[in-house]
Amino acid sequence: MGSMNVKQMVEQRIGDMEVLPNVVMKLLSFTDDDDHSLKDVVAVIQNDPSLTTSVLRVANSAAYAPRTAVTTLSRAIVMLGEKMVTGIAIGSCLSHMYNDSLDGYESVKGEFWNHSLRSAIAAKQISGYALKDIQGDFAFTAGLLHDIGKSVISDFLIGSSEMLRNWLESGQVEDFIQAERNLLGTDHAEVGYAISVKWGLPEILCDVIKYHHQPGQAPEEERGVLYTVHLGDMVAQLGGSGTGSDNLAYKIDENYKDYINIDERNLDLVFLQVQDEFWGIKSEIFSSDRN
Amino acid sequence: MATLIVGVGECKVSNKNGDKIRALTLGSCVSVIAFDPKNHVAGILNIALPDSSINKKRVTEHPGMFANTGIPLLLRMMTKSGYDGKSELIIKLAGGSTILDSNQTFNIGKRNILAARKALHTVNLKPEAEDVSDNYSRTVSIDVVTGIVIVSSPGKGQWDL
Ligand SMILES: [Fe+2]
Ligand SMILES: [Fe+2]
Repeated sequence: MGSMNVKQMVEQRIGDMEVLPNVVMKLLSFTDDDDHSLKDVVAVIQNDPSLTTSVLRVANSAAYAPRTAVTTLSRAIVMLGEKMVTGIAIGSCLSHMYNDSLDGYESVKGEFWNHSLRSAIAAKQISGYALKDIQGDFAFTAGLLHDIGKSVISDFLIGSSEMLRNWLESGQVEDFIQAERNLLGTDHAEVGYAISVKWGLPEILCDVIKYHHQPGQAPEEERGVLYTVHLGDMVAQLGGSGTGSDNLAYKIDENYKDYINIDERNLDLVFLQVQDEFWGIKSEIFSSDRN
Repeated sequence: MATLIVGVGECKVSNKNGDKIRALTLGSCVSVIAFDPKNHVAGILNIALPDSSINKKRVTEHPGMFANTGIPLLLRMMTKSGYDGKSELIIKLAGGSTILDSNQTFNIGKRNILAARKALHTVNLKPEAEDVSDNYSRTVSIDVVTGIVIVSSPGKGQWDL
């Protein structure tokens, strides 16, 4: 490793990462573009036999229980909705990333995907309470991707969980993001942003990843989505789907109230809905793993 | 010998020698842990929300989801497995965490703890030990024979409750 500091090692790790599979890239480019049709989505997916199989399998699964077998992609996509299809694509094409344990966070295999999926479902539910119109499907995708930086940074945190937790308890740092920063000179939001730029994700998705713990620092026109994902992330952590040592070690940005109008009762309802949806689709997307 | 896993809104009870009951990672959810030392019956209820009034339909499907309907369910299941309803019942609470500096709305954990204590109070029970609130996640388990309850948290290790 020579004279490289942690930040440089992280950068090198990002540089070595594979490019984003084309099919995921295309599906993601649809998420902030209203000007596409079902045909476009079918065209992208049918090029990938393995993904086609996964989509059809989910559409025919117990969670959706179609009355007659779903045999065409177009019917499957209409049934599942584009957000689920994008979710299946991300879950299966990036399963090596999402299904790994995050050892630096003392987080076991499966938790990273569960956290991402639950954040996505919650963000979509929260989008219903946004003061300005937020596209639920977009909130879902953004929720799914918000923590990708953890997959790279985790290795550099191995053995430090206890120390970072102590920093937090003694008030040396304000939250886990600052703890990561103190230790490594970077944090999972910044690293996630670098990954998203490398992958060439749509700009708004890159910004969601970058600012998800500091939504107030995002450009004004993006803040509605940012606060939606920020709260979705919180709901997932509260629901017990965190990623180990950093769970609940973040602050909620109170200015969400300028963008999202949700009270106790409605939050309880969101909790219940998120739990139901999570139960329904967790196993289905899981079983679409290619591994 | 088995380890029974308790998911969100579920309740599991056992009287089998060697069994363990374990609640999946708790955030704002609260585990109500019950142990009858005389008959060796143990149970964990994993409540997610304080009150069933937000969705009455759900009560029949998932009474364990809410504090007010979950506690009676736990007691019914304990009785079915051999708790005689009269001898000592040790109750412990774990979970109910929240995010840092949480406001009232997002402090579901605190609302769950208060609701759990209240629901226990109405059946004349009181937690003997609690490991609640704060801002980290927990896993709890109980050994059916010994009644020993272990709490663990990533980055914090594990301890007895
Ligand atoms: Fe994060
Ligand atoms: Fe997160």
